[in-house]
Amino acid sequence: MEVTIPPATGRGALINRRTLIKTGAALGALQLAAPNLISARGEAPIKLGWIDPLTGVLSILAVTEVEGAKLAVEQINAKGGVLGRQLQLLVEDSANDVGTGVQKAHKLIERDQVDAIFADVNSAIAYAVEGVTSDKKIFHIVPGGHTDPITGKDCKWNVFRICNTTAMDAAAITQTLVSKFGKKFFFITPDYAYGHTLQENFIKRLKALGGTYEADMLPINTADFSASLIKARAYKPNVLLNNMGGLAQIDCMKQFTQFGMQKDMALGGALFELESVLSLPPDAQTGWWDMEWWWDQPGVPHVAEFVAAVKKATGKPASARHWFGYVAIHSFRIAAEKAKSLEAIKLTRALENEVLPPEVALQPGNIAYRAGDHELMAGIFTGEVHPPKGDPANVFTVAAVVPGEQAAGTVEDTGCHMTYPS
Amino acid sequence: MSVAIAGVASRRRGERDWLTTAVIALALLTVPLWLPWVGGYTALASHVLVMGLVAMALNFLLGFTGVMSFGHAAYFGLGAYGTGLTLRYVSDSTMLALLAGILLGGIAGTVLGALIARRRGVYFAMVTIAFGQIFYYIAYSWNDFTGGYDGLRGFSRQPLQIGPLVIDIQNNGTLFYYFVLTVFAVSVALMAFILASPFGRTLLAIRENQRRARFLGIPVDRHIWLSFSISCFFAGTAGALYALLNNFADPTALHYSLSGEIVIMVVMGGMRAFWGPLVGAAVFVVLQDYVSSMTVNWMSFIGLMFVAVVLFFPRGLLGILRRRREA
Repeated sequence: MEVTIPPATGRGALINRRTLIKTGAALGALQLAAPNLISARGEAPIKLGWIDPLTGVLSILAVTEVEGAKLAVEQINAKGGVLGRQLQLLVEDSANDVGTGVQKAHKLIERDQVDAIFADVNSAIAYAVEGVTSDKKIFHIVPGGHTDPITGKDCKWNVFRICNTTAMDAAAITQTLVSKFGKKFFFITPDYAYGHTLQENFIKRLKALGGTYEADMLPINTADFSASLIKARAYKPNVLLNNMGGLAQIDCMKQFTQFGMQKDMALGGALFELESVLSLPPDAQTGWWDMEWWWDQPGVPHVAEFVAAVKKATGKPASARHWFGYVAIHSFRIAAEKAKSLEAIKLTRALENEVLPPEVALQPGNIAYRAGDHELMAGIFTGEVHPPKGDPANVFTVAAVVPGEQAAGTVEDTGCHMTYPS
Repeated sequence: MSVAIAGVASRRRGERDWLTTAVIALALLTVPLWLPWVGGYTALASHVLVMGLVAMALNFLLGFTGVMSFGHAAYFGLGAYGTGLTLRYVSDSTMLALLAGILLGGIAGTVLGALIARRRGVYFAMVTIAFGQIFYYIAYSWNDFTGGYDGLRGFSRQPLQIGPLVIDIQNNGTLFYYFVLTVFAVSVALMAFILASPFGRTLLAIRENQRRARFLGIPVDRHIWLSFSISCFFAGTAGALYALLNNFADPTALHYSLSGEIVIMVVMGGMRAFWGPLVGAAVFVVLQDYVSSMTVNWMSFIGLMFVAVVLFFPRGLLGILRRRREA
């Protein structure tokens, strides 16, 4: 009698190790392949390309910005879309890296043929992508990259911005910090476009008020601030201005309180965003700051509806970044409906000086994109950050709303000379 | 008898190499025809060629000389800055800028190579990282000249002028792709020519057994220095093309993390195969491009892929094909 023993190597088996790996790889690749089965359903959607650092130190802000944009897209599509076409949002991760951001802009424009680009939380990426979109003549909105040249000396006809310039943010809070605490500042600032212009503007305002300062410029993704904090303690300033962003700002705040420095000096700065405040322990929720939009505005029409919609869609309290994303998509809609076209130059002309409707503006007063530099003249909410009072998201008390035009100064001050294609 | 068999085997291998080269050349020449059908775009193809060239440059050193550099991004980045700075401050000639990038990357590699070439193993790798990081911090800190972290902007590749003929690589992505392909082809042909020369054979001997090569009277340190320097000229060429592709240069192009990615491309593609790094670069760049559109965890996919290749296909993706043919 003969007995067949299966080979120990598995070579005679039905499925061997290599086949299994190959099958797994093939199935994995199939998951990545773009589905092309739904391409012929009605008219093609309007494609909008969104680039934000979904990974890296600014991801905490980028994620909420994208959530706000998605909410706007859902609402607009539910009402029939724009010019009778649905909106399709294509989101790309810039990984907080300028080169990757530029590459993603090329991808969205050349492969996906988007009608508009929205980029980026990171000022340097927004600034670099501006170069690509102006070369390609693509309508571009910068929802949350603050550095001044974007709507200043390097302004472009196709680029609009929603968040404030650093000059506006510095103008809104410097006087308050000086009058409350004194004229001696210490800056901890990220060493890139946003940080450079922000610190420059603070220093300009501080000097005008007769103040003195010292400063430390650190890489954008710094995690250890001990050396800078020791320097700050030795300098004995009245106020420490933490200009870092996202996770870096959070780390700096935590270390500031761990060192017990809140007893020696006040804390403040241009931006301390809701996402960052909520990530900190109560003793680090402190200081006087700007907020570029605030969710608690009793009596202002439509704000409560927006806050409820964000809560329902994301489970989070509405932040300025949600509002930036929301306004960005609605600005595109408003421009397209007014221009009855998706052509970049027509969208541009339609959006200039266009006052946002109350359900999009979501703040007191009339706010519009200034034609001279394409900067949205939104109000700046200045006030005090504190541990939660009642509502867990009630961590900021608004002291004043500074009108955008007042903080921005004139178009001539920005250095923008807008030129249009012939 | 055995000599005859060896001769036939060598001839067959030569024919197979020519066939591989022909297939790759045909695929690259026809990219604009088939790429849109598979969801690609021309700038992606140019990016693959650029990263393929720098990976092949590293492989000149790693795969054909047996020396590991973890700082090749420095010479790639210097090539990019050389081109960008020339276009911005000196001249709007694309060819002059390309040449400046190649020379900056190559000369820096040649000068530093003289200091590095005597080191061996992990010390060689460490010193290459250290020199690379010096250039990174210079680019990062010199805001007024290099643009710092924000990168170098304000320059743009210009149309090529050859006599009365103007080739608009500035606005036409397809023409720019063919420009990149031409530079890539010339570089790769030069690389193949050097590797086929007696000097190239000597490098292989050093790779296989440095001590034996030294006993045979080969000046090993000088050959490693020359190999490093040639490799840096090719890396500089890739960097110069990168700056022209994006009309932009930033410090990340000099960072050691990019050096690590270049090593991954070489290992994934197969460092003993001439075309292996190009295949590795294509897989890396395309995978990164596609997966990053789908998930924020795209870096995990790249990492898993690399781990899978190292564990299951240690000779790289092209190594698998070669082994199957040889089996």
